[in-house]
Amino acid sequence: MTARTSPLHDRHVAAGAKLADFGGWSMPIEYAGGGVLSEHTAVRTGVGLFDVSHLGTATVRGPGAAAFVDSCLTNDLGRIGPGQAQYTLCCIPDGEDRAGGVVDDLIVYLHADDDVLLVPNAANAAAVLARLADAAPAGVTVTDRHTEVAVFALQGPRSAEVLAGVGLPGQQLSYMSFAETPGAGGDEVTVCRTGYTGEHGYELLVAADRAGALWDAVLAAGEPEQIRPCGLGSRDTLRTEMGYPLHGHELSADITPNQARSGWAVGWRKPAFWGRAALLAEKEAGPARTLWGLRAPGRGIPRPGMAVLDAAGERIGEVTSGTFSPTLRTGIALALLDRTAGVGDGSEVAVDVRGRPQPVQVVKPPFVESHVR
Amino acid sequence: MAFPDDRRYTDQHEWVQVQGAAGSPTVVRIGITDHAQDALGDIVFVQLPDVGESVTAGAAIGEVESTKSVSDVYAPLSGVVAARNDALTDAPETVNSDPYGEGWLVEVTVEDGDGDPTAALLDAAAYQALVEHS
Repeated sequence: MTARTSPLHDRHVAAGAKLADFGGWSMPIEYAGGGVLSEHTAVRTGVGLFDVSHLGTATVRGPGAAAFVDSCLTNDLGRIGPGQAQYTLCCIPDGEDRAGGVVDDLIVYLHADDDVLLVPNAANAAAVLARLADAAPAGVTVTDRHTEVAVFALQGPRSAEVLAGVGLPGQQLSYMSFAETPGAGGDEVTVCRTGYTGEHGYELLVAADRAGALWDAVLAAGEPEQIRPCGLGSRDTLRTEMGYPLHGHELSADITPNQARSGWAVGWRKPAFWGRAALLAEKEAGPARTLWGLRAPGRGIPRPGMAVLDAAGERIGEVTSGTFSPTLRTGIALALLDRTAGVGDGSEVAVDVRGRPQPVQVVKPPFVESHVR
Repeated sequence: MAFPDDRRYTDQHEWVQVQGAAGSPTVVRIGITDHAQDALGDIVFVQLPDVGESVTAGAAIGEVESTKSVSDVYAPLSGVVAARNDALTDAPETVNSDPYGEGWLVEVTVEDGDGDPTAALLDAAAYQALVEHS
């Protein structure tokens, strides 16, 4: 299968980006003259611009569209109003194998009761859309806009200045709220106070055919702030420092929101959402394993799939994500640990790093203070 | 991408350079290539064998770890570790910035054989061809 490319692909190639496959999309990992460490630092201390057009976009429209989405996805749309966005999960419905497992985690933009925009992950967009389209009542239409819409993430403590410099609205937005530029027929740009880095930031949705011009304009407006284009390599180190889950690592068909500590994104009092019975039962019983952070003070970075061991060398869990923390200058990881192991914040355990047990400390993420609000 | 012709290379993306005059014994300096450091990305840890340790050609003797992956370092020749670049402990990024110079990894004393023990390894042109056609 040929990898799909972003509308900005030619610009990335011209900028000397290293490309890699993300969910079937060929996207930048890092840029020439940059690298994960300097791009990471730009976002923590200044501002960085990511192309995340591999993320899916889809609209759900028609009478009762929002109520329909609310009856499927986990979070409670009643907690937000039009002009606000929400992190939510699409779980496997009750009655199916692995009910309560996670099909995808996504952002829902509530435009109106009859107009909702979804931003799922690249690899899972098709599965989420197929499930919603199958379940949609008459009059509600699910439309894939993946290739029509480009998505940027403008992130960092100087992001508001850059947004102002490029003439986009949104400096006054509260966390998880969005605004649109005036426009029609796809000319508008949607700006949302959100992100995946733990810093103050925005995600911009723009029509694919206008994406190049906006990308150039944002980079130009960011020059005084020494803005950097940032690849998905630093996006991963940034989100891991915050303990944010990544589908396929901390969330999957086999890893429920209870296990991943994503229960905050579940509207437990709602009468219906996919996987409700299975998730309530698991919550009641207590999940068999839960997500923790690990700090690795020595050499050797815990990587996904490595075993976590107790003092006796017995396996008590598995690393789901692991990387070098550019902020802490040490290895950090997220890991699912068995409840029966009885570990908690501050416990000393080990990770089997290629046959060598490496001492690590169990901690509760985030590893680095959040500045999103 | 640089391929200096004052040294030899392996298909494991290491370079080997004779220090002083070749003879018996011969001291060789070992590092990873510009291509290797570029492929790894920002290097954050380097683990090297102790001085005095015996190493066997083709066997792993250390690791170079970047933000995104880890790569074994293989001994290009058999011998005994004569020196290691301990400056990399505090400044592993030197391997990125100067892979053929200050970013060297270890020196190995090669005891046996006559003449240049690196002669059988790839020359710069052959290594460049390997990288560009892979």
